[in-house]
Amino acid sequence: MSFRKLALTALAVTSAAVAQNTPTAGLTTGNGPYVPGVTYQADNPNYLNRNPFYFEGRVDWNLLKITTPSTPWEFTQRGIHYQDDLQDTTDAIADYQTAISMNNLTNNTCQLITSAALVAPNATLTPAPCMFTPRLRLAYLMIETSPDVAIGLYQQVLQIDPLRLGINAFIGEAYDNKAAAAADATSQASYLNSAIAAYKAELVLSPVTAQSTALTGDKANNAHVHWALAADYAQLGDAVNQASELQAYLDATQWHSDTYAWHIQLAKTRLAKLNAQLHRPIDRPNR
Amino acid sequence: MGVALSAVAQTPTGNGGDVPFKSQPIQQPQSCLPCHQRQYDELRQSVKSGYRNVSPLFNGLETAGNFITGGLLRPVYADSTKLDTNGQPLNSNMFTTSPITDGLQLRAGFCFTCHNANYERLANDPTQREVPEVTTGAASAVGGGFRPDLFRPLRDYHMTDTSGKQILPASIGGYPPSGALPSKGTAGISCDLCHNEGGPDLERSFKGDGFANTSLIINSSIEKVGPFPFPVDVKNNFHIASNDQSKISFLRSSAFCGACHDVRLPGGGPGDLANNEFNVHAPSLPYFRLENLNTEFQTGAYNTPNNPFGKTLRCQDCHMSLFPYSPTSTYTVGNINVTNATPAVFAQNYAAVPGISTDQNYPLPLRQVVDHHFTGTDVPLLSATELQARLGPDYPDPYEPGVDGYGNPLALASRRQKLLEQAARIDATQTDPQAILGQDFTVRVNAVGLSGHRFPAGFSQERTAYIQLSVTDDNGFVLYQSGYRVDKPHPDTGEMAPDGNLDDEDNEHVHVVVDGGQAVPVGSYATGAGNNGSKNLVFELGPDNGPDDRVYSGVDAGLVLFRNELTVIFAPGTPLGRNDANGNPIVPAKPHYEETFNAATANTVDNYRSLQPLVPRQFRYKFTMPTKAELAELGVTLKAPLHVHTQINDEHFPPVFMRYLVKTTGPSGPGGDKQLLTEATIDTYLKTNPNLTSSDVTATLGGAQ
Repeated sequence: MSFRKLALTALAVTSAAVAQNTPTAGLTTGNGPYVPGVTYQADNPNYLNRNPFYFEGRVDWNLLKITTPSTPWEFTQRGIHYQDDLQDTTDAIADYQTAISMNNLTNNTCQLITSAALVAPNATLTPAPCMFTPRLRLAYLMIETSPDVAIGLYQQVLQIDPLRLGINAFIGEAYDNKAAAAADATSQASYLNSAIAAYKAELVLSPVTAQSTALTGDKANNAHVHWALAADYAQLGDAVNQASELQAYLDATQWHSDTYAWHIQLAKTRLAKLNAQLHRPIDRPNR
Repeated sequence: MGVALSAVAQTPTGNGGDVPFKSQPIQQPQSCLPCHQRQYDELRQSVKSGYRNVSPLFNGLETAGNFITGGLLRPVYADSTKLDTNGQPLNSNMFTTSPITDGLQLRAGFCFTCHNANYERLANDPTQREVPEVTTGAASAVGGGFRPDLFRPLRDYHMTDTSGKQILPASIGGYPPSGALPSKGTAGISCDLCHNEGGPDLERSFKGDGFANTSLIINSSIEKVGPFPFPVDVKNNFHIASNDQSKISFLRSSAFCGACHDVRLPGGGPGDLANNEFNVHAPSLPYFRLENLNTEFQTGAYNTPNNPFGKTLRCQDCHMSLFPYSPTSTYTVGNINVTNATPAVFAQNYAAVPGISTDQNYPLPLRQVVDHHFTGTDVPLLSATELQARLGPDYPDPYEPGVDGYGNPLALASRRQKLLEQAARIDATQTDPQAILGQDFTVRVNAVGLSGHRFPAGFSQERTAYIQLSVTDDNGFVLYQSGYRVDKPHPDTGEMAPDGNLDDEDNEHVHVVVDGGQAVPVGSYATGAGNNGSKNLVFELGPDNGPDDRVYSGVDAGLVLFRNELTVIFAPGTPLGRNDANGNPIVPAKPHYEETFNAATANTVDNYRSLQPLVPRQFRYKFTMPTKAELAELGVTLKAPLHVHTQINDEHFPPVFMRYLVKTTGPSGPGGDKQLLTEATIDTYLKTNPNLTSSDVTATLGGAQ
């Protein structure tokens, strides 16, 4: 037997010994030692038991060892797998819808948490807290084709966590989609104003204050929100607010640039034109 | 003295056991040097040995945790008069308690244990104690409570004069006094920790499995456990080379590494809200997984034969072999062709210095030997001068030139870069072949982790690995970018203007400034974040907000960040630590999730943002090309082809995290200046490891221009 084989044999013997010595009796389900391929999901360290919130996020599907989902969390995780790994949005949507139907205020299968006492360590909550991940995932898949559905889901997320960043911006995006598909100018203007309201609600959640400016040097933030606002005001023909938002966008990107770096130059170009237009002497009628 | 020490060492509280060998005090690495020069030289480079105990970052983080917990992370000892949560004596710490049944036992020495278990246990003897107990709790507690102003970083206690007597820097956290020598405990994880092992400590581990938080039986005898089944007798019986096959096999196994390289934190209120795991010995002790490295390995493909090498591999096969300087292997994972260093290739060498180390000079055989560099993701954040002042004049420069006996770089920084280059691959060839003005264009990046654990790993909530992407036309006009950084001022730490350095800049997915806290009058100290820092004074979404958008909303855009995340779930009524536009504190009425940069503040963790081993994932960037009209406004004409460049970068700590430590341990922090980190530390020593792997493709440009 070669040295390596001898070593590996010894290792295997040791590993088995350790496993055999691991106490297993009397352990609470969900906290026993995990034996890959042997122990089912309750003892899998990658299967995250609710305590009292569900794990909001994504766990690699192959680690979960779920054959058939049976809880809203499991349906959410499979939906994420369909969406992220398989690019199967049809099945993802179905799973998110199932998850939400099983974790829903309307049928009393979830609840909003309004008190710290409800989430004390090891608290047991019945019904479970409402989850935001399946709602956000489903909403974004519907934001172009069914913006009203998306807006409804985003509103549910704001019920769960009103301070969560980015949700109001998504609502603004959904209203922008409605405006783009509007049948008439009046409806379009109405949707654009709803979008503007949503974007402004987003800005309120991470305000630029004297303290934040002193700490960062930033005179503005939320560059993409300001860019979207400028676009909405442009569609409404509101040059003053468009210019204001373009300036805020430039301030927000001063130290952070943008994923769309060319927007910065475009903003400068447009702002220069707008300023020239806004500061042009007003034509006075002849007397 | 010697007798008392031996007695303590042989019958340690809650550790050790029946060892049929003569006891022996813990040996300094220098005692092993004459016969094991190569191993000594290699280990000297390892950050776990020596550096970690003087690291400004480790010391800063331990200090920050103590500010918040009121000193609970400092060890207690056998003669302590403190009480646990049930009013019983609290006289054992994380290492000397078995089993752990009280959260205060777990917190006592929580950081110190993993980095200095031997000397924490020795400290039950007051004459051997380097790190003293501190008074704990709020100012109203017994003894006046915790005093941030008097609190010294751990490294202050790791100095002696030439007679071996402990000396302290003149000012808290100050430079070593002239003539100061490193204390015995400074060596940290050295020869006499691993080679004194007696197996896994199942009783003390949270799940009874020997995993995490130094769940290791460590003896203190002349029996030294090595990797060889038939060791040669040692000269003059300085030690006995163990023939205990179970100990030898354990030392050679990944389970041995798992005793320390999982770290499980006590869940603080309102509990580990995402993962209901608790100590099997004490169901009232919930925990969550900080470092989850060995669990990742144990549940991953390299712990089975189902990997490109067709055999189960061990931690030692990459971190104690010639890897990453071994011959390469080529294999395919998903659609990605990989040529990488081969694990489990070991050098042939002598295990000890021939001619001086064996009984009767018995000739030593050439063997496959392991390497003790233990190269990982860290490189010291200190100058070579300060390293040598704190750790001895022979401490190596992490950037030193030259090669070792095998022709591989001596410098830890070079070894790290090479190791990280083996850790992942990306492939962008499934990107759309054509872009059309005004329409969506999708870059598809397949990424796979190749390390035995996830990538990044370890303190993975701060290890910042990410994809840098640029899409440009043939003239270099940038159409989309992600994973970029921008040089900017950092007024909160005194950098008032951009400094020309991008390595001190964070990614642009969020803008965060963490509160460093502030001092309160003596007698007013209270535990918790309040005045002790860690809450986010600024928390805004940035333009490259990929991590949250991708995870929670399924958006195919923005930064791909493999860094895991410590999260605080604010319970209703708990202030976020910042104000609204009207100057009023923002107080959530519903639970609110936010990233936090102090584990002591977190109450849950997302350990799934990193790449799991050998399971490719595709990350998509869907963005809109400029319209013809927009290009006209800009006066730009795009030139084909478009160039899509992707690469993975890595930084072992994010600047935002270091800036938090600069402030909380700085002059304006809760305890005054601990002289650990400044903005200059970040600017000088924090280095990005760029371009670990890359992929470039081109796309044609369609549609009317």
